[in-house]
Amino acid sequence: MVQSSLVSTNAVCCWIPLFALRCEAARQPDLTSQPHALLAPELTRRMWQVSPIARREGVRPGMTVGQAIGLCPTLRLLEPDPVHYEQEFSALVAALGSISPAIEPVEEGKVFVGVDGLEGLYGEVENVIAVIKEVAGGSRLGWGRGKFIAATAARRAKPGQAVIVRPEDEKPFLAAQSISVLPLDPDTHRRLRLLGIKTLGKLAALPEDAVTSQFGSEGKKIWRLAAGLTIEPVKGSVAPEPIRATLTFYSAVADRTMIARALGQLVDRALKHPRRLGWRVQALRSSAALENGASWVAAGVLKDPSADRERLLAPLLLRLEQAPPLGAVERLTLELTGFVPGTQELQLFARDAAAAARAGRRRALRAAATEISTRLRRPMLYHVIEIEPWSRLPERRYALIDFDP
Amino acid sequence: MVTPPRTPLRPDRLRPLNAPVRVAVESENGKLFIDRCSVEAVLDSWQLDDEWWRHRISRRYVEVMLEGGKRVLLFEDLTTGEWFEQTP
Repeated sequence: MVQSSLVSTNAVCCWIPLFALRCEAARQPDLTSQPHALLAPELTRRMWQVSPIARREGVRPGMTVGQAIGLCPTLRLLEPDPVHYEQEFSALVAALGSISPAIEPVEEGKVFVGVDGLEGLYGEVENVIAVIKEVAGGSRLGWGRGKFIAATAARRAKPGQAVIVRPEDEKPFLAAQSISVLPLDPDTHRRLRLLGIKTLGKLAALPEDAVTSQFGSEGKKIWRLAAGLTIEPVKGSVAPEPIRATLTFYSAVADRTMIARALGQLVDRALKHPRRLGWRVQALRSSAALENGASWVAAGVLKDPSADRERLLAPLLLRLEQAPPLGAVERLTLELTGFVPGTQELQLFARDAAAAARAGRRRALRAAATEISTRLRRPMLYHVIEIEPWSRLPERRYALIDFDP
Repeated sequence: MVTPPRTPLRPDRLRPLNAPVRVAVESENGKLFIDRCSVEAVLDSWQLDDEWWRHRISRRYVEVMLEGGKRVLLFEDLTTGEWFEQTP
């Protein structure tokens, strides 16, 4: 993603745990009263996300269908529909983008919103939270300086509620949290538990050098997080909008070779899109609508962004090989979702890259102008235009006109 | 100045810029006051005559420094005797 000046120290974390399961529950409201679980979108047929009722019966993610049904005979198993979940999450991210330009999605169901400066528009912190709640209804919200504190606050919030951690409350808030909020590998977590360190307060009370010598660079990192010394800002990005190419088959296709060939055609089409000029692709995603009503998705993030057909295809073909669609494909879609600017050698595209970035800024400006007009009930942004610049009378040289980006 | 890319130019959407604002000029004990601020120095002055063929415009511009150092551009409408402040 393109690094930009869209950086915000104050962050709100919007978190919807078990996002995919929530999407299914929204589609089928009768699910909420019965134990249900989503199957993993792979051939292994294991549990992926488990509802709280099923969890009480002993069903856990990773279990086989046999194990789960054995523990909970009334368990309702759901085929995953990853495309639907991604669409829902994209809609949430887009809605949050209308509030703040600094939006950083982390994973499905978790997104950070940069809130620096929003007080000027909405007033108190509580008002900003209320505006975010309007678009992210049932999510848990956490407000804090930096992403770690915001995410930890969101974990403590109830659904649809917010926990606000003001700078003066950071230390006591962090000290009371369990070490499970830290990004730890299981081994480090176990070692900390064995040492009797169960809260961030206990960890931060240890000398930094001692923790570093015990756990290396990871130790230093977690100590600084626990002590509230690491304030990682939210970083928004400016990039072209996703490029999408779709292919609908006359009759559903199950043959992997055919699907692979179709993916190649879609990559070719997407790469030729004018919006792609000047940008290398970093992230792409392919999705398929299946004959049985389910869906399939394959996503790839390239370590080295590229505009090369074969390199873009590689992660999709690997996924097709390892976890093919669980049914015949009716419609195949490819989306180029992440971009970085063209390299120095690609000067040919540099002008296009700048144009695309300008287009992004213009969109943001248009949204801001609309927001101002809506809130103040009249346009307050103007252009200065020349009327008679040669006139000897100053009032006749220039005039203001409503800014209409 | 920004050039508007797509905004259609319509007279009813135009707002005046640098329009003259009427001010009160008073003289007291040999000192000049503009809206009750005393004039420290007259920096420059010139006369502008224009449009004598339709509606005569005749102005005497004066650039002054007010108490506190603020520089202000004024003109006297010689046809009416009124004083105005204007951004250059």
